[in-house]
Amino acid sequence: MSASQSAVRSRAEAVKVSRTFDWLILFTLFFVVLGGYHIHYMLTGGDWDFWTDWKDRRLWVTVAPIVSITFPAAVQACLWYRYRLPFGAVVCILGLLLGEWINRYLNFWGWTYFPVNFCFPSNLMPGAIVLDVILMLSGSLTVTAVVGGLAYGLLFYPGNWPVIAPLHVPVEYNGMMMTLADLQGYHYVRTGTPEYIRMVEKGTLRTFGKDVAPVSAFFSGFVSIIIYFLWHFFGKWFAQTTFVKSENF
Amino acid sequence: MKILKDKVAKLSFVALLLTMTAAMFYTPTASAHGEKSQAAFMRMRTIHWFDLNWSKEEVAVNDTMTISGKFFVFTGWPETVDKPEISFLNIGIPGPVFIRAGSWIGGQLVPRSVSLELGETYDFKVLLKARRPGDWHVHTMLNVKGGGPIIGPGKWVTITGSMSDFTNPITTLTGETIDLETYNLSNTYFWHGLWYAIGLLWLAYWARKPMFVPRSIAVEAGKADTLISGTDKKVALGFGVGVIAIVAMSMASTNDKFPITTPLQAGLLRGIKSIEMPVTTVKVKIEDATYRVPGRAMQMTMTITNNGDSPIRLGEFNTAGVRFLDADVAVDETGYPDDLLAEEGLTVSDNSPLAPGQSKTVQVTASDAAWEVYRLADLIYDPDSRFAGLLFFYDAAGNRQMITIDAPLIPSFI
Repeated sequence: MSASQSAVRSRAEAVKVSRTFDWLILFTLFFVVLGGYHIHYMLTGGDWDFWTDWKDRRLWVTVAPIVSITFPAAVQACLWYRYRLPFGAVVCILGLLLGEWINRYLNFWGWTYFPVNFCFPSNLMPGAIVLDVILMLSGSLTVTAVVGGLAYGLLFYPGNWPVIAPLHVPVEYNGMMMTLADLQGYHYVRTGTPEYIRMVEKGTLRTFGKDVAPVSAFFSGFVSIIIYFLWHFFGKWFAQTTFVKSENF
Repeated sequence: MKILKDKVAKLSFVALLLTMTAAMFYTPTASAHGEKSQAAFMRMRTIHWFDLNWSKEEVAVNDTMTISGKFFVFTGWPETVDKPEISFLNIGIPGPVFIRAGSWIGGQLVPRSVSLELGETYDFKVLLKARRPGDWHVHTMLNVKGGGPIIGPGKWVTITGSMSDFTNPITTLTGETIDLETYNLSNTYFWHGLWYAIGLLWLAYWARKPMFVPRSIAVEAGKADTLISGTDKKVALGFGVGVIAIVAMSMASTNDKFPITTPLQAGLLRGIKSIEMPVTTVKVKIEDATYRVPGRAMQMTMTITNNGDSPIRLGEFNTAGVRFLDADVAVDETGYPDDLLAEEGLTVSDNSPLAPGQSKTVQVTASDAAWEVYRLADLIYDPDSRFAGLLFFYDAAGNRQMITIDAPLIPSFI
């Protein structure tokens, strides 16, 4: 068969093969991104994502969006430039959450018996959908970085509040006030996670009025913009293809 | 010949695969004693655990047991380990096989980090509630910021029963009694399931149409603008507005359902009450100390001076949780772990009662396989070859005095 001969004999066959490619590529993209993104997120935002008693109003709200907007930015760069497909962020988060839930359920619970209500992952989906939607509607990666990045940071805490709020109900425990999340961390023993490594509301610029989370959310949003720009270029670079000219054969 | 070579190669590969597969099915129980891997100098010169008591050796699921005792924060704390200004009383168990129902130092509840002082002795207690059946090695443990975990002696405890019977009832300040083991689980699954489904819908909307090859062709042909239709934009707007609406509404309804919430609590507890140890009337000076490698014995020459009112005898040398006793003077009745207890491991050249006002120089030998088993002999390979420990002297009435010793150690290889 020579290069000038087509591998398909009819348009119908071409459409069928193209569709098969769609599923093959999507499947591979999903799992490759799952693997890389999961490792990246665990190494950067790990403990904040693992434990309820790390999900504070400050460090968690700040760190999680900043380190998690990375792969969505990169994958969006590839999928939008080449295919005008606006699901880069969502496919990343679908992969990440699938990997995280498999890990938490089979390993954290199935192997080491930490209850799942203590070690569930953070919910990143609202920000990812909005990031994809902004890209699609604006057609501009700059607008996506600025508006989408900010939205990604701002949507993180409210998107997770329905899940973690019940664990922030206070208890009085042997004369001290704790939240249920603190009590989970105290009860369910982790020999490698002493209390002092929890970064609960450490640092300056603590509140605006009395609220902590909005300050952290805005800061997180602004830094997410910068991270989006940076990882956009990573994605664009990784997505390039360079062909050897056929005359060199 | 080639056919034969191919056959041999093929069979060898099959044999290799079979061996690897068989090895995967062999999974012996790992019951490592991590404390042995800690450097000897660290176990000897940081936290000295003593008067330990494990209240039970067998406990049913949902029943409780305590580990209590004392620890001395060694005055000669090694320079290579950060001081225990920020520490956490932990417990050395393989994951949450127990839950830690309470922990106290000096009578104060310590769910947070604490600040401890060198040279002080503290009493502690940890209350554990059994959760997962099995045989578990339960250690005392203190985490030190900048130093890591300092693990103490461990004892085997058996938990009987079934984990499915375990409950962890807690009453909140809002008056609700919940089971912390399963609380909020269905809520978590619901929200994660919902958002995952919405994400899948977004992906499905685009995946239902041809994705990669046709769109790539169109983009390269300069027809990228034709790939996003008006309907696509409307659907996208719907998703975007819908997401923000769901987030806003769920936040509002959550605040209605849980009007009283507090932020996570953290902080450092200072002013932990130490034990007021009685003033000691015994003085000990270590003249020399050697570790004889072949004999697994440590020999010390020490000058003991009795400034008290009653004759005293040396009963115990405790280092890194290993206790060497002179059986004529001291006997353990606490059920201390056998592998850490050398009941007749302490030999004193002259352990006759030392009268008040008298001094004598004696050779003291602490001999037991524990030196090697617990890798304390590896002290001679540490960068700071000093040993440390606690000596316990007893008077005629059975009153005890604790003296700390800290001296260089010279190895002897012959």
